[in-house]
Amino acid sequence: MSFSPWVRTMKARALVRLWSIFGEPLWIVVSMGFPVLSSLALSLLYYSIGATSYVGFAVLGGVMVSFWGNVLWSMASQFYWDKQEGLFEIYLTSPAPISAILIGMSVGGIIGTVPSALIVTGIGWVLFHPAVNAAWGGVILTFGLTLASLYAMGMTLSSLYLAYGREAESLNEVLQEPVSMLSGLYFPSIGSRSPFPLAIQAAASLIPLTIGMDALRKTLFYGNDIGQVWPDLAILAVMAVVLLFLSTYTLKYLENVGRRDGTIAVRIR
Amino acid sequence: MASKGTVSVEVSGLRREFKGKGSPVVALDGVSLKVGQGEIFGVLGPNGAGKTTMIRILSTLLLPTGGWAKVMGFDVEHEPEKVRRVINMASGAEKAGYDFISAKRNLWFFSQLYGIPSEIAEKRIMELSEMLGLTKYLDRKFYALSTGYRQRATIARAFVNEPKVVFLDEPTIGLDVMTARSIREFLQEQARQSGRTIILASHNMAEVEAICDRVAIIDKGKIIAAGTPDDLKRSLGAPALVMEVSPPQSGFEMLSTVAGVKGFTSSTEEERGLSTVQIVVETDAAARAAEDAVKKQGLKVVASWRKQATLEEVFVALVGRGFKEREEQDVV
Repeated sequence: MSFSPWVRTMKARALVRLWSIFGEPLWIVVSMGFPVLSSLALSLLYYSIGATSYVGFAVLGGVMVSFWGNVLWSMASQFYWDKQEGLFEIYLTSPAPISAILIGMSVGGIIGTVPSALIVTGIGWVLFHPAVNAAWGGVILTFGLTLASLYAMGMTLSSLYLAYGREAESLNEVLQEPVSMLSGLYFPSIGSRSPFPLAIQAAASLIPLTIGMDALRKTLFYGNDIGQVWPDLAILAVMAVVLLFLSTYTLKYLENVGRRDGTIAVRIR
Repeated sequence: MASKGTVSVEVSGLRREFKGKGSPVVALDGVSLKVGQGEIFGVLGPNGAGKTTMIRILSTLLLPTGGWAKVMGFDVEHEPEKVRRVINMASGAEKAGYDFISAKRNLWFFSQLYGIPSEIAEKRIMELSEMLGLTKYLDRKFYALSTGYRQRATIARAFVNEPKVVFLDEPTIGLDVMTARSIREFLQEQARQSGRTIILASHNMAEVEAICDRVAIIDKGKIIAAGTPDDLKRSLGAPALVMEVSPPQSGFEMLSTVAGVKGFTSSTEEERGLSTVQIVVETDAAARAAEDAVKKQGLKVVASWRKQATLEEVFVALVGRGFKEREEQDVV
């Protein structure tokens, strides 16, 4: 397959996601609710106890939790839902490269989540004026690599969820809060300010969001430039590439197993 | 079983087993056939006969455990990517669309999976929609479409890439008569005018009889008869006998012992207080003997008549029972 059909598939899948998100205004409001409220609650808490330097962490956490929620509920679960609806069969019987579909889902998810992230940022900025000492080049690069590795993890989960039945949604429920806590969405979970013992910090570091959040705090609030956070950026880049390959490999493997065992086209109802 | 002209689909000794609780379950057992270009080929059989398994193998969703199958010369097991460029498929049971976007955008999306430039895709979508009577509903969100229009959109999707071979699994299941008819007319047009090969798996005998050039009747994973619908019906010899019998009966096993009775199928109408038996007979004498056998059991024959054979009678003649009884046997 040449480059052009790959791009067409990717673009079309991204647009489907965007049309779905922005076609239902209520959906936008609902998807913003949790990040805005949780960010507000923690900002108020930090503010009321005088930990004003942490208020920025809470606002940043609200921004990133929007993306994490999108990865979990709209990326990881997507193929599972597609399989249930019979859409996955259509993907498989078409010549479309599965990597284009996965990346299209990610691009659409990222763009679709931007309004939620901007609103959290705006509300947090207006209400609490968090102290920022940013190295913007580092912030932008870190943000980009964090999203890349986070959505690559979503792609891998999406592939793995194909192997699951009804457990997929429960697995999402199980993952959501522990990952939010371990990855340090609202407070530093690794490094000298972490409340966790080293073993937990080591485990938490396997989650791309943990490394990304830590690097974002360093660049956004402590003025660290790219030269100071390059190890974090390198880890994020490696995670993004490895997870991307893992997701397409896993999908191909599961497709082969499904064709052999007759499970790929089984709808779960 | 052979076809005329260019061969689009060729299957030889195709076998598929699934893991069972004890021994493996054989879903397809040595199926061989050839389907020509522009042909509408029906695969007819009761639920569980192996139709869907065959469609899934041919559309690269399932691997065979024996034999081989080629679509447009490409091996479905070893060259799935090449097969996928020339096929499409649709099932009557699928939902197959994203709810919160319009039917038109859904169709455009699926066209992009085949790398079709947008302007060409949009032209095709409009043409297909016109043919299927979907145009007025193209801008409706998918969830807001009725079952019939959703199915029209599903059929349009299956043709959006101008496939050389289309696999359809029960495409009109659950649809009203008018929608089903318009889909059948569309399929015939696609085969006649565009030379597409359509393989239609169905247990709707009337549908298969109405639009298929040739039919393979499949039972328990094996093709038990194949040919044109007319040839198959002609093979029966005499017209079938239909009797309405009172009081209602659950079984007519006495008919199994009557010479010249090839098979029968029955249904009960409690409200009318009678059973209807359709009997496939070899000769007129066998029909009379069957009626006598029923009367000898003390049953009253309220009415009886002869009717032209249908594919259902062909199946009954071959298996001894109708689709419904066959499915019930499998459940037991």
